[in-house]
Amino acid sequence: MERTEIAERIRTIISLVVKHDNFEMTDELTANDVAGWDSLSHVGIIVGIEAAFNIKFKLKDLNGMNTMGNIIELIRSKIE
Amino acid sequence: MNEYCIRKATVDDIPFLTEVVIAASKSNSDKLSLSALFNLPENRIREIIGSMFSEEIDGCEFSISSFLITEHRGKPVAAVGGWVEGLVQKTSSSILKSNLITYCFPKESIAFVLSISAIISDILIERDNLSLQIEYVYVDKDHRGKRLAEGLIRQHIKNAQLAYPGLEKAQVQLFSNNSPAIRSYEKIGFHVGKVYKSSNPKILDYFSHDEALLMEIDIALESPQQCRIMRAKGSNHGKNRNSGKN
Repeated sequence: MERTEIAERIRTIISLVVKHDNFEMTDELTANDVAGWDSLSHVGIIVGIEAAFNIKFKLKDLNGMNTMGNIIELIRSKIE
Repeated sequence: MNEYCIRKATVDDIPFLTEVVIAASKSNSDKLSLSALFNLPENRIREIIGSMFSEEIDGCEFSISSFLITEHRGKPVAAVGGWVEGLVQKTSSSILKSNLITYCFPKESIAFVLSISAIISDILIERDNLSLQIEYVYVDKDHRGKRLAEGLIRQHIKNAQLAYPGLEKAQVQLFSNNSPAIRSYEKIGFHVGKVYKSSNPKILDYFSHDEALLMEIDIALESPQQCRIMRAKGSNHGKNRNSGKN
């Protein structure tokens, strides 16, 4: 799967959870940059990503997902 | 002779810390909000809290390293959690906690808590970055009235100032009907910073009260000289066991 396609799917998931799309999908994007990305919505985003890509994150994966670039690369490594 | 001493929590304390979280979460009521939020019985919540502590993730409320314990004759009798938000990990404690929850709770429970997110979100308080966060205050009923919680909170403040001399404030979240705890914090110097009120009556299905308070205290060191002294003391930090006499 292309990196841009992964990014677009993640963007859709985040938009559905936080109920807006007022953010730019850069590799540097963090939870702090997205209004509404709080503790509860974080759970929804993680669950949504796992379902969309049919993957399961380990705890060390989750704690390493500090930026969008990290999230995309982690997903690529799991689906390839 | 003072029979109480304060020490850092270790992995051996996980059963005690689990009971601390359970007791503190009940907040002087019979309602265990974690049980209601995740639609699980108390014994299952107990197991999962233990497993979250066992992951040994630093920097949040389910971190062993966040807790100080007061011992009496070798037995833990009081505990308080505290950490400088965003200092150890660069990720916020709420995200670290959510990662632990997502990883340790069953799928059905995660789906349940997400289904009620609109009800509970009004009183979920985000934490200020680089502030000392106090969470899960517990004193065994046989040892109350001896200011053990105050001693632990003051020790957390000292430790946090050593770890981060730029620290400006400490914060604690609690329900507004918890009058004894509010009075205790006020005696230390905390004041109410913000009030979070839910207008959704269903909130009481999940929490013991519908209004949460954010209490704060200014703990900024007053001068650059004080900061230097604290940094110098920091080089010896952790070598001494501290008295819980406060």
